[in-house]
Amino acid sequence: MYEFTPIGWLKHCIFHPVEGFEDLRWKKQGSMRISLTIVFFLFVAMVADHQMTGFQFNQNYVKIFNVVPLVVQSVVYYFTWCVGNWSICTLLEGEGTFRKICIYSAYSLVPYIVCTLIKVLLSNFLVQEEAIWITALTYLGFGWSIVLMIQAMRACHQYSFTKTLISMLLTLIAMLLILFLAILLLSLFQQVYVFVYQIYTEIAYRIRG
Amino acid sequence: MLRIKNTFKKILCAGLAAVTALSMTLTVSAAEPYKSYIYDFWGDPIPSQNAYRIDKTVTGYDMGLSRLSDPTDPLFIGEKASSRLSNAKDMYFDPDEKEFWIADTDNNRILRLDEELKVIGAYTGVTDGGNFASPTGVYVKRSLYEPNPLYIYIADYENSRVVKASVESETELKLVQEYTRPETDLYTVETFNPSKVVADFAENVYVVCTSVNQGAVQFNRAGKFQGYYGANRVEVTASVIAQKLWRKFASNEQISGMKRNVPVEYANFDIDEGGFIYTVTEAANATTDAVKKLNPAGYNVWNNNAGDNYVFGDMASEYDPTQNQTYTTRLTDICISDNGLINVLDFSTGRVFQYDRNAELLCIFGTKNSTNDQRGSFSNPNAVEAYNNNIYVIDGSKNDITIYSETTFGSLMHEAIELYDQGRYSEAKPIWENVLARDGGYPMAYMGLGKAAMNEGEYNKALDYFETAYEQKSYDKAFKYARNDFIEANFNTIVTVCVVLIVWMIVVSKLHKRGKYVIKGRFGKKSRKGGR
Repeated sequence: MYEFTPIGWLKHCIFHPVEGFEDLRWKKQGSMRISLTIVFFLFVAMVADHQMTGFQFNQNYVKIFNVVPLVVQSVVYYFTWCVGNWSICTLLEGEGTFRKICIYSAYSLVPYIVCTLIKVLLSNFLVQEEAIWITALTYLGFGWSIVLMIQAMRACHQYSFTKTLISMLLTLIAMLLILFLAILLLSLFQQVYVFVYQIYTEIAYRIRG
Repeated sequence: MLRIKNTFKKILCAGLAAVTALSMTLTVSAAEPYKSYIYDFWGDPIPSQNAYRIDKTVTGYDMGLSRLSDPTDPLFIGEKASSRLSNAKDMYFDPDEKEFWIADTDNNRILRLDEELKVIGAYTGVTDGGNFASPTGVYVKRSLYEPNPLYIYIADYENSRVVKASVESETELKLVQEYTRPETDLYTVETFNPSKVVADFAENVYVVCTSVNQGAVQFNRAGKFQGYYGANRVEVTASVIAQKLWRKFASNEQISGMKRNVPVEYANFDIDEGGFIYTVTEAANATTDAVKKLNPAGYNVWNNNAGDNYVFGDMASEYDPTQNQTYTTRLTDICISDNGLINVLDFSTGRVFQYDRNAELLCIFGTKNSTNDQRGSFSNPNAVEAYNNNIYVIDGSKNDITIYSETTFGSLMHEAIELYDQGRYSEAKPIWENVLARDGGYPMAYMGLGKAAMNEGEYNKALDYFETAYEQKSYDKAFKYARNDFIEANFNTIVTVCVVLIVWMIVVSKLHKRGKYVIKGRFGKKSRKGGR
């Protein structure tokens, strides 16, 4: 049917929202390497949006640049999405493997990344009167990515449309749970660390006399 | 030879010692008991120069209040008249007569001072109207109606009335009109305790009453109740929203038991030359309607709902470790000086915040904290007034008036602001540069320089200035012109690049159709291998 390079497959998926991911699945295509590159570029786009947006459009707190929230908002959210979706859809008889979920999700993020980068570029040339272009690009990127994501998940798990929506909603809840537990675990380990450290100090003082 | 050397050494040593001693002389200067700061675009405090320094403090003794108990003096009002202020709640400066008026609340009298703050009149009551009881507000204005008598308006708190009287002599006031509790269904509060009063040109009287939250009570010239003026709105907090929801489900009995959400009444006001009334609300951390500029119809000109962002007072509450106390902004008085600057007094921190006509923060001075025995720090700052580039703050607990005078930085800044507000940006430019030489982080200076550069057509320079001041709107305007200039200057290059690109794309697509590829490999449509 189709013969594409890996990049060609990516293009095919993005520009054929209805059939693209089905074809991808049928042909057993999709590259993990490209997916990880896409996630990296998601992070890059976020940083660019934060730091390189034209001065007249930049509403972020640029006085201090902290990369951690941006990493969390891109890379951590992406992997939580994949893990959450995998755990939910395993229970809901989805056919997708973890690898597939990662690849399909990443592929569907591309319009968002591209639109964000174009937006950042444009914001350095436009004035606020022409802000409608920026807004349009934001909505375009977001909407396109969401449509792709729904199609990707549908193709990945072979669900009906409604079931896809429900599974995605549940995935969001699962993400919340995962992040909550992660933070809980983090703070607990921190307490354990403080406890051990206190014991160490106590012993150290006693030994010294 | 040796001897000469020794003498030479001695002289050298003595000389060096002298130089060292001279260079070690202390330069004594009375620093202000606070650190001067200002807020940047982000609402973070940044250090700034002092725009005002403490000139002196004036007590009742310095005013000459001992004359009031001297029977031989024309100002004699009684044997036991106190020679000091006591919990003075209000002060008003009459710009026409150049006189200060003080409501000396706990002494139940009104004091009249000249511009040097020497007493020239004292009043304990009005003829045919009885004595004052805790007067808390005073306002003076010469009438526009013939024969132009000097009218004084006094909020006579304990007597539940507002007195309008004409000033007859140094110790005599003649009653003109008495405003008491309006006998109408519209006025729902049982009490009528006027705390502050102002009057406009038409001699309409506006009265702030304790526990009346519908706004200022307004009387017309004849003394008739006109209604309420410029009420505050309820500050929307989470609990207010929650209660609004509960009311939907609650029964009537339950609703009657609930707390009512009413706006906070405002604490004080002032009227400017244009007839605008400025109000302050003293509630701690009030963000809704903390300071308002009301037009004669009662509409707030500084309305954040209209898309602006007016902020007054301190951004965050402040913790003082020496007193183990947290201070939050409580704006207690506002004063519009004759040059249009707006001074707002914060009761809880003892700070005066000065703004220009457009509510841009200019400077912050004064303090409270643990050092209120020191000059320039306050205990109960009650009122602020401005005259002749000085700021006067009256303290109800220390019973004195603190006078702040401008520093060089302050006077330069005010001069520049004056020109800036008139739109004479280029004239203000050298002054702003001088201001920057004294305080390199002063945001308004960069604004001023940016606007000057924009006026002179140096848009790229203006962009730099606006970026430093973090002023996005002005930056946007300058950027528009800078962009036009850039396009005009590089029109040929831009067109050439565009044409070349379009031609290139057409050629490439033609070649693709014939099956030839300029770039082969991964990015082409078909590679030699064909997929994985």
